[in-house]
Amino acid sequence: MTKVFTDGLSFALPLLIMAVGAIYSEKSGVTNLAIEGFQGFGAFIGALIAVLLMPVMGNGSQAVIYIAMAGAALGGGVYACLHALLCINFKANQVISGVVINILSVALTAFFTSSANTAISGTSSNKLILGVSTRFSVPGLSDIPYAGGLFKNMYPFEIIIIALVLFFSYLMYKTRFGMMLRACGENPQAVDAAGGDVEKTRWIAVIISGALSGIGGICFAYSLLANFSPSIYLGYGYLAIAAMIFGNWNIGTTAIVCLIFGFAKSGGYQLCIAMGLPSNYSDLFLMLPYVLTMLLLIFFSKKNHPPKAAGEAWDKGKR
Amino acid sequence: MSEYIVEMRRITKRFPGIVANDDVSIGIRRGEVYALLGENGAGKSTLMSMLFGMYEPDAGEILIDGEKVVFHSSNDAAARNIGMVHQHFKLVDNYTIAENIVLGIEPMTRKFGIFPCVDIKKANEEIAELSKRYGLEVNPLDRIEDVPVSVRQRVEILKMLYRKAEIMIFDEPTAVLTPQEIDFLLGIIDGLRRDGKTIILITHKMEEIKRIADRCAILRHGRLIDVRNVADTSIQEMANMMVGRQVNMSQAKDEPVFRDEVLKVEHMTVKNEHHFDVVSDVSFSVRGGEIFAIAGVSGNGQTEIADAIAGLIKIAEGRIVLSGREITALPVRERAEAGISYIPEDRQGTGVVMDFTLRDNLALREYYKEPFSGKGILHFEAFEKYADELISKYDIRSAEESKTIMRSMSGGNQQKAIVGREIEEHAKLIIFVQPTRGLDIGAIENIHRHILAERERGAAILLISLELDEIMALADTIGVIYSGQLLKIAPASSLTSHDVGRYMMGVKEA
Amino acid sequence: MKTKRHILSSRLDGKYASVWVSVLAVVLTLITSGIILLLMGKNPLTAFYSFLQGCGLAPKANYGGGSGMLSDLSDFLNYLAPMLLASLAFIVGFKAGLFNIGIAGQMLLSGFAATVIVGYNRSLPAGLAKPLVAVIGIAVGGAAGALVGFLKYRFNIHEVVSTIMINYIISYLTGFFINNHFVDMLTRTSRICSPESRLTLTGVQIAGVNCKVPFGIVIALIMAFAVQFIFERTSFGFELKAVGRNIKCAKYIGIGVGKSLVLSMTFSGVLAGLAGVTYYLGYTNTIIPKTLVGMGYDSISVALLGNASPVGSIFAAFIVSIFQQGANYMSSIAGVAKEIASLITGILLLYASCGTYMKMKAHSVILRDASREEQRKEEET
Repeated sequence: MTKVFTDGLSFALPLLIMAVGAIYSEKSGVTNLAIEGFQGFGAFIGALIAVLLMPVMGNGSQAVIYIAMAGAALGGGVYACLHALLCINFKANQVISGVVINILSVALTAFFTSSANTAISGTSSNKLILGVSTRFSVPGLSDIPYAGGLFKNMYPFEIIIIALVLFFSYLMYKTRFGMMLRACGENPQAVDAAGGDVEKTRWIAVIISGALSGIGGICFAYSLLANFSPSIYLGYGYLAIAAMIFGNWNIGTTAIVCLIFGFAKSGGYQLCIAMGLPSNYSDLFLMLPYVLTMLLLIFFSKKNHPPKAAGEAWDKGKR
Repeated sequence: MSEYIVEMRRITKRFPGIVANDDVSIGIRRGEVYALLGENGAGKSTLMSMLFGMYEPDAGEILIDGEKVVFHSSNDAAARNIGMVHQHFKLVDNYTIAENIVLGIEPMTRKFGIFPCVDIKKANEEIAELSKRYGLEVNPLDRIEDVPVSVRQRVEILKMLYRKAEIMIFDEPTAVLTPQEIDFLLGIIDGLRRDGKTIILITHKMEEIKRIADRCAILRHGRLIDVRNVADTSIQEMANMMVGRQVNMSQAKDEPVFRDEVLKVEHMTVKNEHHFDVVSDVSFSVRGGEIFAIAGVSGNGQTEIADAIAGLIKIAEGRIVLSGREITALPVRERAEAGISYIPEDRQGTGVVMDFTLRDNLALREYYKEPFSGKGILHFEAFEKYADELISKYDIRSAEESKTIMRSMSGGNQQKAIVGREIEEHAKLIIFVQPTRGLDIGAIENIHRHILAERERGAAILLISLELDEIMALADTIGVIYSGQLLKIAPASSLTSHDVGRYMMGVKEA
Repeated sequence: MKTKRHILSSRLDGKYASVWVSVLAVVLTLITSGIILLLMGKNPLTAFYSFLQGCGLAPKANYGGGSGMLSDLSDFLNYLAPMLLASLAFIVGFKAGLFNIGIAGQMLLSGFAATVIVGYNRSLPAGLAKPLVAVIGIAVGGAAGALVGFLKYRFNIHEVVSTIMINYIISYLTGFFINNHFVDMLTRTSRICSPESRLTLTGVQIAGVNCKVPFGIVIALIMAFAVQFIFERTSFGFELKAVGRNIKCAKYIGIGVGKSLVLSMTFSGVLAGLAGVTYYLGYTNTIIPKTLVGMGYDSISVALLGNASPVGSIFAAFIVSIFQQGANYMSSIAGVAKEIASLITGILLLYASCGTYMKMKAHSVILRDASREEQRKEEET
């Protein structure tokens, strides 16, 4: 049971940080189906930095992980500029742009991973092997029966994600910038008339979206795979988008949805083990998050209210 | 100090394909109400958008207090105390009134002494205070989506006041108001003038200018025609200068000849997605040869009535009967074939496919029938022939005739295309929603002529308009809607526009 | 006063604008990937030429016994068939305003169903097995597509999200069955299908070399023209286009929008299903479990490069297939990782998706030049 909480949380939090990224972009009025690509590209840059640093700083060094996270945020943020450019400046169809970004991300990272491996080690592997992240338990809290699992065997990145989510909630709901950003997604004309810069606000939002997704990606790379390979593209970026939809574009509710996803996934897996099913059946349980998402979408999709101006390019000349 | 607080000298502004302003010079004195009169498309809004920093002129200069200025954005204009109420309000629907007013210049506070936060409590207090001082009562905590149009306009005025505007531009402020609300607004404007503010009023309504303005500049086709003292100019003179020819102010209309009942709506209720009644228990009927007009302030359920009759939205209760046949449960196409034509409110969003050619758009009601198609195969010769016929009959002008992409046509011609397409169905009932909004006088006359001709033919006409003038000019019978209910149904001849205005604001019996 | 900029702009603004945009996208892609190759110290011309050689479109230096340029070409056509069908699948959805990102999943599901039902049934004669494979592809793909259309219409679920979810569900589900029941212990992929059921004849001797005869390419070309005809000449296609361009207007005009959405996704699924059977029972003859083919996504590049025109995508599929199919040979000759094929396709997609912007930009250049010209004339007089 504690395992359900531990694993659930380590799945839910990276998902949440990506969903927060998606919320930033969409609340500013840029439809964002590119989260999958952002997280993959960010994770690639983070992993590349880690692989380059590990020989220098020592294999066991945990500092590498933090630098990799910063690198992933940077990589995701820079890559997100492409989506911003296409959607905001080139006024491309935002759904197409998202799909393009995702496909290009898979292609870029696959190619550069194998090229980087050839350059670094001379072997053409499609994996960048990462170190192992240490884990820790919060003293006291982790001893609580059942729920203590939430505080047991935590990855350090989980704390960072929680801090980031709190900060970005504050930025979104309490500050002048956040008010402008949300207004951009509802009625950019109002922002323009109030002297705000719609394009700049949206650019910043999309870059934030990329940076946060990148962090989510590298966390998955560490927690799920301990390496970076094209198998990082598991569709979790889309799960984050689904979480955002159920969460009605609100960070608080989205957090709850992500936790449900996380616990459902780990719960299903633990159930599989408890029932003593052969390992072949794990495929069926890996399917769970996707099936759950479909079911949730079927039951909750109709009542949603996406930001009104999301998906429309902002044209200053047009009134 | 200069004589003028605002001076615009020899302003020229080009857009691809048109010259919006051609060498226009105006000077506005401190503390006056200065009107800009012109038809839609005469260049009034463009001129003022440049004063408000939304565009930069291609040639010419702008002086504020005798000092030359260059505005790159509305921020620059706001810094010189210029404010503007746009025709389409620029408000965030899901924000509160206070949040909308302070957006971008919010009062700030610090949480725990570190984190800067928007001080929404202070904003609410400030707005409450401001609204009381100017007699513009609003509740700062209401959300924009929950308040009526007239309150939204107050919010826009408060926004200017909060930003300490001294020069206030109003773009067609009365277009969607009731006569009583217009009175109120003109009172506010008068108060602002007494307060020393300079007001610029963009409008195409001569009566308002007569009532409130000191001077009036007339624009036509982007050129300045004249600047007059309002006191010395008659309404007829203004109208002639605005249009450039002798205008017949009153539309000739024959006495109605009513025939059999065509449309009967009984106890119709329509609910929105939140299960609120947007139309509640509405009953009325329209006879052949009758123009039945529904008057009301925007957002009181009139579009829903039209959509419900056309079959675009479901009704919760009631019956709709067309010439004795119940059509309540029929899908859209069967209703159209039973004899309903519909000119929708959102002409570009609903009435046409903007990426299709004019030819294909004209055939939207016919494409699946003989001779336009047979056995599922389209016959484009029939499309061409039909399009050419309608283009000449309805005077639809475009660059490449039937091959023109709809998007590249002017709004007036797009509307003529829709009106032509719908009228050609020779339906028993034709629903017109806001048929002339935003069009110039020529196009308006054209469309009004067609409406009257259809009435002559014996069609039942349901006209829904926000422009009370249009309703008073065309209607045989008027129904006034308020908050989803038809408060009053009476022959048009028995009502004055002030009577209608009173019902539009929800006053039950006078 | 005709500058190069003006000439280019007038091409991109003229009657054949879409064709010129695609040509420009290809040229820009070749330049971009050429620069990447140069930065890696490789000769781009050698690399590009070896792509062609790998596809049998240019002669190789030497050939193994029994094979020749024609064998490579027939392999290329064998690959081109599912690619073209997959891109047609995307186009059909796209015209009705739907983004079918689930082509890979629909291909996998129909390929799996045909493999299990027909491919492992050794008793069926070729004359019965081959049509049956196609029918199963159509039925299964169509059903998978219809589901997505239904979810969109009935529950307002964005098709991009639903198709991705369904992709993974299909991938794990078929993977589970293959691993448990149909796996070949040696290759860890599904057991190969019977030659009777395979849609490609292998080992056919033509002009003295071993060739493949893909029936898929015939199906694909017929479908391309059929799709073109449907969208250009039928009222069904007219309705789908109206739904895709303005769904509100389509409703207003009385088109059954729900029916149209479901039908277009069904049609899209049918084509994806055909792509699936021509891929899994034509090109590969086996299924790698838990793997969605890249072709599902490459087809989007093809469709956008072909300007969403069925006939245009014949050319676009041709170009994209050169990179994908020629990658292995190119890799062996030029020493560049074969993943560059996907990268080139991705870059192509990126440029193709900027098409609207290119046209818009060109249009504004033309207008600006025209108004400058006008102003100049005015000043002269």
